[in-house]
Amino acid sequence: MLTDVHVPDDVPAAVSLIAAGGTAMGGGTSLMPWLNDYASPPTTLVSLRRAGLSGVHLGGSTVTIGAATTLGQIENDEDLNPVVRSIASVPVRNLATVGGNLFAHQPHGDLAVALVALDARVTLFDETGTRELPVEDFVTAERPAALVTAVAFDRPAPGTFKYLKAARRRFNSVSIVTVAATITESDGLVTGARVALGGVAPTIVRARAVEAALIGGPLTEATVRDAAQAGLAEIAPADDAYASAWYRTRVFPVHLRRALLGH
Amino acid sequence: MPVRIVNLKVNGVEQAFMAKPETTLLLALREQLGLTGTKRGCAQGACGSCTVLLDGAPVVSCLVPAVTVDGADVATVEGLADGQALSDVQQAFVDGFATQCGFCTPGMIMSAEALLARNPDPTSDEVNEAISGNVCRCTGYAPIVNAILDAAQRRRRRTGSKEAAL
Repeated sequence: MLTDVHVPDDVPAAVSLIAAGGTAMGGGTSLMPWLNDYASPPTTLVSLRRAGLSGVHLGGSTVTIGAATTLGQIENDEDLNPVVRSIASVPVRNLATVGGNLFAHQPHGDLAVALVALDARVTLFDETGTRELPVEDFVTAERPAALVTAVAFDRPAPGTFKYLKAARRRFNSVSIVTVAATITESDGLVTGARVALGGVAPTIVRARAVEAALIGGPLTEATVRDAAQAGLAEIAPADDAYASAWYRTRVFPVHLRRALLGH
Repeated sequence: MPVRIVNLKVNGVEQAFMAKPETTLLLALREQLGLTGTKRGCAQGACGSCTVLLDGAPVVSCLVPAVTVDGADVATVEGLADGQALSDVQQAFVDGFATQCGFCTPGMIMSAEALLARNPDPTSDEVNEAISGNVCRCTGYAPIVNAILDAAQRRRRRTGSKEAAL
């Protein structure tokens, strides 16, 4: 049951309303379905729509995105376009926010998967002030009690960011396997790899074994197959309405190959 | 339970109404403003039958608490026709029998209007993406996609845009 909905004009006002027991809401695409349909405990919403947290800022090679920026507003970003278009549908993306995506439960939250691969940072605000945390730490551990105000990442070098989401349909379908990676190569050998996986575990996975297997070798079908084999130890898929755990495990190496090699 | 006054510009007309915390934009349109063209389907943001344009962008109005959009500009299916003359998209839906039961139609049409506003010459793939959040259980989608492509052509022809010459 909704007891009140606040629409604060700035971040300090939002933080005090949340400290007083309010629930922060970005676009409401996770919270509102629950509030519309289920017997929820008394809930006071704190909408971030007017808190001054919208917008994209480019400072040199760093992209900073306000937490209340909608997915629709970043759809044309050169790196994030394929990520955004793989998420939900147009009328949902025009509500769903970048900050809110960091709270989506797997197998949702594909933008957060991409942000882990991009080594993005999340800015948090609470009564003690502002601090930054790697998005990876934020989405893989218990989230701190603070307001997400922005995410930021450094533009990847052209061609180094890879993203693929396998789902039952091409548009508006939940992840079966999501692969996001930044791969740097020099003289035909992988010099850097940062691989994040969605859809294959209770939380987003930073696939360190996959990365370790890739670094130092060429990027070929054989090396990616070996890396996927190493990655099987890092994933723990579940059965859901979209795919079985067996199927997710079976197709993970295929989608890792397609993401990294393009075929 | 706090009740607040919400002001909206709906289809070009200034409106004010009282909203409870649980009053969504969808419920305000239907029950307070009498605009029942916008349909309540799932109330989960999954079916798209409540799609309206909020400050020009299509959104599922069932997920929007009305008090969060005080002062916004809203367009619904009721605002499209000019008197008895249907919009290009509406007329193309009628001519192409893209409605059948009609429940998804207002949401489909609002998604189509938003698409054509930003892309006057979409491919059928772009139409598929634009209506991927709108569920239809009657048509099998083909008549809807064809109607939107037809509407795009009518509009280009009527406005004499460069695309029409191609």
